[in-house]
Amino acid sequence: MIKIQNLTKIFGSYKAVNNLNLEIGPGEIFGFIGPNGAGKTTTVKILSGILKPDGGKVSVAGHDIVEESIQAKKNLAYIPDEPFIYPKLTGFEFLRFIGDIYSMPHQYQMRKIPELLEMFELSGYGGELLESYSHGMKQKLLIASVILRKPKVVLFDEPTVGLDPKSIRKFKDILFEISKGGAAVFMCTHILEMAEELCARVGIIYEGRLIAVGSLDELREKSPAAGNSNKSLEEIFFELTNIPL
Amino acid sequence: MLLLLFKRKLSGFLNRISRLTRWEISKNLMFFGAGLAMLSALYFAFIRVLRYLESVEVIGPALSWKLASMVLLMTFAMVVISSIIISMTTLYYSYDLKFLFTQPINLRLIFTDKAVETVFYSSWTLILVLLPFVIALGKVKSLGIGFYLFYLVLTVPFVMIASSFGIIFSMLVMYAFPSSRTRDITWILGSLSASFVYMFFRFSKPEKLIRPDTLEVVAQYVRYIQAPTAEYLPSWWLTKAMMGWAGGNIKIFFVYTALLFSAAALIYGAVYCLSGFVYMRGFSGAQGTGKFKGKNSLCFEQKLVKKGFPFPDIATLAWKDRKLFARDARYWSQIILIAALIAVYLFSIKNLPLDSASIKSMVCFLNIGVAGFVVAAIGLRFTFPSISLENNNYWIIKSAPITLKRIMLEKLVVSAVPSLLIGVMLVSLSNKLLNADLFISILSLATIIIASVVISIMGIGLGAFFPDFRLENIHQIESSYGGFIYMACCMGYLSLVVALEAWPVQMHFAKIFGRANAWDFKAVAFCGVLFILLNLASAVIPWKLGLKNLEKHEIL
Repeated sequence: MIKIQNLTKIFGSYKAVNNLNLEIGPGEIFGFIGPNGAGKTTTVKILSGILKPDGGKVSVAGHDIVEESIQAKKNLAYIPDEPFIYPKLTGFEFLRFIGDIYSMPHQYQMRKIPELLEMFELSGYGGELLESYSHGMKQKLLIASVILRKPKVVLFDEPTVGLDPKSIRKFKDILFEISKGGAAVFMCTHILEMAEELCARVGIIYEGRLIAVGSLDELREKSPAAGNSNKSLEEIFFELTNIPL
Repeated sequence: MLLLLFKRKLSGFLNRISRLTRWEISKNLMFFGAGLAMLSALYFAFIRVLRYLESVEVIGPALSWKLASMVLLMTFAMVVISSIIISMTTLYYSYDLKFLFTQPINLRLIFTDKAVETVFYSSWTLILVLLPFVIALGKVKSLGIGFYLFYLVLTVPFVMIASSFGIIFSMLVMYAFPSSRTRDITWILGSLSASFVYMFFRFSKPEKLIRPDTLEVVAQYVRYIQAPTAEYLPSWWLTKAMMGWAGGNIKIFFVYTALLFSAAALIYGAVYCLSGFVYMRGFSGAQGTGKFKGKNSLCFEQKLVKKGFPFPDIATLAWKDRKLFARDARYWSQIILIAALIAVYLFSIKNLPLDSASIKSMVCFLNIGVAGFVVAAIGLRFTFPSISLENNNYWIIKSAPITLKRIMLEKLVVSAVPSLLIGVMLVSLSNKLLNADLFISILSLATIIIASVVISIMGIGLGAFFPDFRLENIHQIESSYGGFIYMACCMGYLSLVVALEAWPVQMHFAKIFGRANAWDFKAVAFCGVLFILLNLASAVIPWKLGLKNLEKHEIL
């Protein structure tokens, strides 16, 4: 579903992403972790088509994100780390806007949108302007918009920031539902416990380079002090990145 | 502590200067040069007017001071209006306020910091535009460098008092109605007041002061001219202080200087004390949002799509843009200003002192340029910023399956229609008011239709070429480098349009005045081809440049 080949992105003289290679299959939840400034957000922005790569190729659902951007974008949903959404639209209108832009049938939207608002406990706020929504409510609305458009690839950048514990729990369930439906999920996160809990595979990016990728067990094998089968992702992360504590 | 607050602004400014790239430096220098040229042009215009007024027997010097007092009164009124709009943002909605309020800083100091910001942003452009007038006044009246120095010093309490109106208004209104809706109402009131001042000034026919045929009438009102202009307002105090300095009357100079400074000190002392009691309540109320209940029914564009409209993506973007515009008083309240601009425009056309039918038709032809300028000015407020107004939300459409070309096309359709309507209305009403002949009527109407569309395309194209997705308000982009380039391009385009049509129009008038074989059809065809090429180039080049730039643009 997602194929990244030799991806490179340079800002001035700084290589934000350096020769990245990855493949994420259908139904897989992939966690992308790394310290601040490692290149996670840059990668996800390139995957979403809002940044252009300086080298390499990215294909989403079989379509090149640069050459066939419209076809690729039709199949993906992206949620950034900061939920900027039109403050003067209502929650209902925002979902209608997304539904219309992604050519979802009218009848489907009219049935699904109230359902989604209900699911995220936003029914009472659907007619209110988004400027009155809290950070968490905006985040929930964006997650609802992902479900609405039924994408083949979902890109999340720090998806649980601002969510309350109940919503985080719900988010995890939704993530499993999405992956069961056959969509590939690419998730950048700093919450290592969540990556450990949800992701089939995890990639660790450091200074623009993918320094390790694999399942938790595979990462344990790769870590310098291999052997301890109970090592947490956090311990593996610090061992692999050599970040002094 | 207050110094520390000011220092952070200075540091921010210096950091920005020190990090300017070569391109940014040259861009700013060009911008600075153009601004200087404009101020110089204003200076020479004022020199001419003031020299003429000074040369009028008996009342000449009084006329100059009368004009000075009127200009200062206008400036005072504009600073007041500007401060009403700006103070609401600076005092209650600045991005750094949430941070400042969590710091151990005295509330009154935060208020003072924001009040200083209000005074600066409300007045700096108006003071800059006033400068050519003051320099011309000093030159015409042969006043020395001291006059300018004292003027600069006296400007400080003058703008402080003017801005205090806005500061006090915002503070009290937010105290009484602590809600974000209050901001919307203030913007509407601000636009209404600005329109009122503008129309009031124009409808009072200030040109009478400098038109020779009305000077006899003016002479009968010497007493009126020598009488104070709004003597209880600081504009008159400043005029009197300047007059006192110019006339060597030191007593008058000091009295009015003291009046200005003491009034400013008194007002700000009172406001400083008051802020401790009322500022927090207003700020706290401003953080909330007004209640709004939207309907979930289908809107016009969605119904169109349901009926099989072939461009559903454009229709979707259009309903989104329409709703955002209608719900944001900052944007739609500008329509009030535009209505005032149109009223003043038609009033000016109606009052043109023209008697011959040919001259009226000639004016109708030249009017294409002026109407085009109005369309361009409206485009600067609505068309040019439309891409940038996507703001932080640009990621939504950038990551959506819709091409940038379609996004630009939607913005064009939405903004070209009102521009076209306004252009056609201005030209057809002007033609009717001036009884233009049939040829000129058709030519001017056809030209303004084409020009309105081309100017709209230029607006979208250049708006995409100079996007700013981080702007805090629409006025930032109007006064930006890109906005200046857009206006310059529109002016260049309109000048060429009028120049190209001048030849056939000349043949038309030659025919009216009885010259045989006045029409040279080869020349007309030549002008026609050039006209088509000009319009194609003016539309295609900015559009392509904008599209290319938007494709390259990355959301960091």
